[in-house]
Amino acid sequence: MEKLYTWLDERLGLKTIYDVVLDRKVPKVNWFYTLGSASLFLFVIQAVTGIFLTVYYVPSPDHAYDSIQFIMNGVAFGWLIRGIHHWGATLMVLVVFFHMLRTFYFASYKYPRELTWLTGVLLLFLTLGMGFTGYLLPWNQRAYWATTVGTEIPGTVPIIGPWITSFLRGGPDLSAVTLARFFSLHIWWLPAGIVLLISVHMYLIIRLGISSLPKKDD
Amino acid sequence: MAKSHELHRSDFVKSVVAVLGTIIGGFIAIPGIGYLISPSLKFEASEAWIPLGPLENYPDGTPTLFNFTRTKINGWEKTVNSYGVYVVNHGGNQVTVFSNMCTHLSCRVNWQEDGQIYHCPCHDGKFSPTGEVTGGPPPKPLNVYETKIEDGVLSIHFVEG
Amino acid sequence: MNEDYKQTYHEKYAREKQHGVKFFPDIIFKDMLVSFGIFVLLVGLAIFVGVANEPPADPSDSAYIPRPEWYFLFLFEMLKYFPGQIEWIGTAIIPGAAVVALFLLPFFDKNRSRHWSKRKFAIGFMSLAVLSMVVLTIMAVATTPPQEEVALASTLSEQITLGQDVYSVQCVECHGAEGEGGEIIGVEGLEGVVLDPINHSDIMYTYTDDTLYNIVEYGQPALGMPPLGLAYGGELSRGDITALVNFMRYTWDDRAELPAEAVAASAIPELKPGEVPSYEVHIATLSKRYCVSCHRPNKENNNYLMQSYEEIMTSGDNAPNLIAGDLGSNLIRMLHREEIEAGGPMPPTKELKPEYIEIWERWVMGGMPNTAAEAAAVSTTTTESAPTAPAASQTP
Repeated sequence: MEKLYTWLDERLGLKTIYDVVLDRKVPKVNWFYTLGSASLFLFVIQAVTGIFLTVYYVPSPDHAYDSIQFIMNGVAFGWLIRGIHHWGATLMVLVVFFHMLRTFYFASYKYPRELTWLTGVLLLFLTLGMGFTGYLLPWNQRAYWATTVGTEIPGTVPIIGPWITSFLRGGPDLSAVTLARFFSLHIWWLPAGIVLLISVHMYLIIRLGISSLPKKDD
Repeated sequence: MAKSHELHRSDFVKSVVAVLGTIIGGFIAIPGIGYLISPSLKFEASEAWIPLGPLENYPDGTPTLFNFTRTKINGWEKTVNSYGVYVVNHGGNQVTVFSNMCTHLSCRVNWQEDGQIYHCPCHDGKFSPTGEVTGGPPPKPLNVYETKIEDGVLSIHFVEG
Repeated sequence: MNEDYKQTYHEKYAREKQHGVKFFPDIIFKDMLVSFGIFVLLVGLAIFVGVANEPPADPSDSAYIPRPEWYFLFLFEMLKYFPGQIEWIGTAIIPGAAVVALFLLPFFDKNRSRHWSKRKFAIGFMSLAVLSMVVLTIMAVATTPPQEEVALASTLSEQITLGQDVYSVQCVECHGAEGEGGEIIGVEGLEGVVLDPINHSDIMYTYTDDTLYNIVEYGQPALGMPPLGLAYGGELSRGDITALVNFMRYTWDDRAELPAEAVAASAIPELKPGEVPSYEVHIATLSKRYCVSCHRPNKENNNYLMQSYEEIMTSGDNAPNLIAGDLGSNLIRMLHREEIEAGGPMPPTKELKPEYIEIWERWVMGGMPNTAAEAAAVSTTTTESAPTAPAASQTP
């Protein structure tokens, strides 16, 4: 065991990782500072349950609804996994939003953490994007009509509006093409962006340390 | 004293983190495994008498192919499976019905009139007119269906699962 | 931003760190507790609240009230206040400005102070924004009209049972209770037309589910079959038609096996000797399957409607069609295929099975109880182990 550890450490630098990432001193902070890790936790939960859902989900108008009925009724624990993913989405939006508010109220976005804030805001919008694209996937009445209206909204912008709508939908109507591109966005593009930005966000946090609680004289 | 207290606290905190992490992992992993394997554990038994038409339609002695289909639900889709059987009319209300599925790897066998064998095109399996293996890799004779004749109409007992 | 400021910051932060804690395990411990709490909440929501079942997407159903996910509701509500030409201020300018402002916050917020007491404007502004989001969300929720309830069927058995109901209401008047066809009686415009059976293997083997679906949705106007799909003036949503097709497939196609649950769900409960049937359990099922197809509004039925207990008891030009304790009631005589003043034999095309007529008769003789509890009160037997002679049950 000892030998294996030495062998791995020599190659991976486990000790260095432990020292740099885990065994570091940080200022004393309060419970609001757990919102960031809670956001990360929810992202991991969403990723895991989402990957499970893709095992049976079919992104086509013919089968999307039926395949979800199958997940809910035909597969063991399918209802639980979908339930966690469904409520996880809601909680993630809330927690990420509160994390943003915490950062704002405790002035953590100020020097030297401007870039951490920037990536964080991007992450907030990507999370909302996940909510918006994921909403369509069950292909039920609620999903269909909400997305019809949702993609209509940018259409009101003068000149380029109608084009944005048809870009989002992949055509003039909400169709199989829309479902396919929302699915692609939901499981590839947006998560890829989120993972990338989380990495940058975390790197910055480890490099700059957790911001301290503002004192009276700060 | 203070030092050891500090150490105890640190150990306690570490084990709480480990325990809670394991609980979360378990709560995801165990349903997850069930979720992945449950379709493989579910099989729907299917049983029916399939009418193959009047017995007189089948010429004496020559194996004659009859095809029928069954509808099943697989996940979110209805699957129409096609089955073939060879009906051998021995005359005098005596009849044998073979499945045309090779017992090796489920390819479909063909009756070859000139060789008087059921031949499997996949791995050259051969079955005699009575269904026995006469060559090639098949491990078992051809499957035979239970039959009944009512009002001159031949039916087979189709059992699956 | 001058170097002094940066220097002071770093010195202060270094001091904070000195008095701080280890990231692992102290911070991780707190994080873990919170994450675990969230996880428990999540699993609780998934188990005890679950995900509401919704009908499948139906582009032809224009009556559906679209609602975005709740966290977009405030945006949705805000659009109410930007009508007509200025709509795009609400849809693009305000959200766009908010997004840009949030992004660039660290760059235009030149206030170096971090403590809240020195950042009153920023904190006040953000709080106001959050408050207005909350208020808009609450207003949106409060003003949302309730969504119309729709029959939902998720499992195959539920689909088949729903399909049976749809069939009973929409199809029975022409195609007969079992899809047997025959001469149409009492349907406006189609009187006397003779229909081929639709429960036959010729149809079932050659028409795919899609074909059946399309026939139901578009109808076959040249042959006299009206469209039933919502988009073409009928009453059936996509989910209804899908359920109907599944009902037909599993009931009439001998290549498919009807699930046992579906058989049980659509079975008409058998009566024990001495048991008085109730509207709730027996009559509602019978009338739904054999009568309601014609005996509902806008059909030729002498205004006799049979969709509820009250309607069965009181409606109709020849009311009352049922009198408690009177086997000479109009309805019973017509079930026995008598031609009387109130009308001809019912159901017009095919006689009801004798055991079903008996249920009607025993119900009439039992005083026509509405609920199962009322029926049990007048039944002469409550347990299977103590059966009374059937004759006794006629006069409870």
